[in-house]
Amino acid sequence: MPLIAGLFGLEGEPGRSIVRLTGGKKGVRTTVRAAAPLFTEPVDAQASPSPIAVGAIAVAGCAAAALSFDLSLGNEFGRAPYVHATLVAWITVSYVLCGLIAWRRRPESRFGPLMVLTGFAPTVARLEEASAGPVQAIGDGLSLLPPVMLLHLFLAYPSGRLERRFDRFIVVSGYAVVFGIGLARLLLEGAGLDGGSNGVVNAQRAAIVVLAFGALGALISRRRSSARRFRTSRELLVACFALALVGLGVGIAMTAVDAPGTYVARWVAFGLVGTAPVLLLFGHLRAGLARSAVGDLFIELRSDPEPSELKDALARALRDPSLALVYWLPEYGTYADLNGQAVALPGPGEGRAVTLIDRNGNHVAALLHDPSVEDEPKLLEAVTAAAGIAIENGRLHADLRARLEELRGSRARIVAAAQKERQRLERNLHDGAQQRLVALSLELSIIESKVEGNPGATAQLDQARREIAATLDELREIAKGIYPAVVTGHGLEVALEQLAARAAVPVRLTVQVGGRLPEPIEVAGYYVVSESLANVAKYAEASTATIEVSKMNGLLAVEVTDDGIGGADTERGTGLRGLADRVEALGGRLRVWSPNGGGTRVRAEIPCA
Amino acid sequence: MRVAIAEDSVLLREGLAGLLEEAGLDVVARCEDADDLLLKVRSFSPDVAIVDIRMPPTHNDEGLRAALEIRAQHPSVGVLVLSQYVEVGLALKLLAESAEGVGYLLKDRISDVKEFVAAVRRVADGGSALDPIIVSTLLARQRPDDPVSQLTPREREVLELMAAGSSNQGIADSLVITLRAVEKYVSSIFGKLGLPSTGSESRRVLAVLLYLRS
Repeated sequence: MPLIAGLFGLEGEPGRSIVRLTGGKKGVRTTVRAAAPLFTEPVDAQASPSPIAVGAIAVAGCAAAALSFDLSLGNEFGRAPYVHATLVAWITVSYVLCGLIAWRRRPESRFGPLMVLTGFAPTVARLEEASAGPVQAIGDGLSLLPPVMLLHLFLAYPSGRLERRFDRFIVVSGYAVVFGIGLARLLLEGAGLDGGSNGVVNAQRAAIVVLAFGALGALISRRRSSARRFRTSRELLVACFALALVGLGVGIAMTAVDAPGTYVARWVAFGLVGTAPVLLLFGHLRAGLARSAVGDLFIELRSDPEPSELKDALARALRDPSLALVYWLPEYGTYADLNGQAVALPGPGEGRAVTLIDRNGNHVAALLHDPSVEDEPKLLEAVTAAAGIAIENGRLHADLRARLEELRGSRARIVAAAQKERQRLERNLHDGAQQRLVALSLELSIIESKVEGNPGATAQLDQARREIAATLDELREIAKGIYPAVVTGHGLEVALEQLAARAAVPVRLTVQVGGRLPEPIEVAGYYVVSESLANVAKYAEASTATIEVSKMNGLLAVEVTDDGIGGADTERGTGLRGLADRVEALGGRLRVWSPNGGGTRVRAEIPCA
Repeated sequence: MRVAIAEDSVLLREGLAGLLEEAGLDVVARCEDADDLLLKVRSFSPDVAIVDIRMPPTHNDEGLRAALEIRAQHPSVGVLVLSQYVEVGLALKLLAESAEGVGYLLKDRISDVKEFVAAVRRVADGGSALDPIIVSTLLARQRPDDPVSQLTPREREVLELMAAGSSNQGIADSLVITLRAVEKYVSSIFGKLGLPSTGSESRRVLAVLLYLRS
């Protein structure tokens, strides 16, 4: 029984499979079960049939077609026997030849051989029309073999395997009904009883009808559970299978009750069954076109596209717009997109398939695609092999981006922590020392009013108050240097007025921001302006400057321009460098243009979506 | 004259109340946050509210927002804002509508009791009080062919006092000159700066401020 099960592909596979493709010199394809923790499944490769075998089987198929044509002419369906005979012969020829083509193209799939076998089934069943005793008995006993084999074939598409338990149940039940009841009939007749009685045959027919509709349900539920919108030839084929199952079910049921017009129902069913090979060939033709897409891909990759274009090129070649390419970053132990953002592989039951791509023994990437892409493993293999170096480049790109992202994150955290600390200091100064000094000064003036008659004391108190005022001035400057509280309190626009007013040169200030922005962004913008104006005062020898602050497309742009001598050294001091750190920590960019004699322009762009 | 005070530091709040009462003003409300102030302004309708710009809970702009709300809801109540820093931007925001009954002073100014009480009275009476730092910051701005540079030193002094909200009589007292002399200086300054001479003393504060800022 294991032998038969193996031949018919009755042993199942779990729902989701991960295919591992090893690029480089030897392209070895390994089918990997998602459920298995290790990628250790054996290589599943079967030899392609030899040309001699193919020729012999083709000839046998034609002979079988001729035989069943001849036998069918003498059947009990009196009306238009040629139609019936021609349809049966067509099914035989088309299934055998089409099965051979599928077998040759995809030897690793069991669908081809199964289709060839199915092609011979009608001839075996037609033997019931033979006149000779034992042969006729076999044909009679197996008259329901063709529908069961078709049912098997339809459910086993496209791998040739029955992947679901329910499918296996239906097919095994079908064979049990055909062979078990057929054998019982033979034994009954051997014992001289009427094994061919309508009762037994109709029970057999009823069982097959039930199984045919069960198979129909299985096809429909499978179709609903996967999103295969992009492969119309395959859709058509599955629809044809479904209609053929309906035709077979109705035809057999009508035969059982001997309803009028049974022969028409049979013609329709046979016609639908005979249409499937045509659609299958059509699908293979499309796959051939897809192979030329690999050629296109090669040409496209030769022009060394940007890593960002690679995904689209692969999507075109594989005809799967939903395709995603994620790169394996071993140091982070995760997959990531081109921007270095971590991506999780889809889990089972998400209707996505995963193809792992290795190069020179290292895992580099994974393709997330529609499961239907796996129908063309050769194409998948060719495409990933063609894109090998480009994928490796993409991986390096993603790795770099991930590192940059990590760096940016830690930079942002450092800046934010320093900012918070400074804010705390400024607050302590404001609520503590500054308030106390003001209160002290007030105290002194009250004392002063009480000693009005004593000019010496008054003068001393006055002097002390002036000292306090000077100290407060200094403290104010220090506090402001530590943290610009006015930005947090009242916004960038208000704070910039003071900077513009206190600048060393006349400044034209334009602010078009429309409301408050997140605090770190406002503070960074404030520092860009204050640092730039400090540089204008120190080095630029400018006569005027402009400050332009605007918000557009989720970007805060702060630009300070002067008409000075230019030639600013961006590495000079820590000013501009520190500014760049602050801006870049927020994911922004600081640029400085400073041609000799052409003024200086500092522009910061900070995302503020 | 009835005064409401909003200041979160007890030390300053009580000191401030003490000096005002000493000067003969009636302190009707002592509040430690902005909400309390708004409530008490509604109930006691004082002549002037003295507001600290940074108050709980966030110590950001609660005081300023309370000041702007009092200006909008109770135009008859003068608002004097006190702060540890004076910013041109905040002055512009406070005086956006008009300079009538508005003041904005550095906190240190309270220790010059006489000046400070005069400023409180001025604001309560619908006049203005702008910290001299604002005016001098704006005057310190250099600009090409600036009409301000054509002013005589005396005219500059008058301009500073005028921009800070002093009345003509106040200017005359400060500079120890006659009221007529002040009037002559004022019209000369307006002529040189090309400003239309405005009637009210508060209105000319705003005009000068905007002129200097532009």
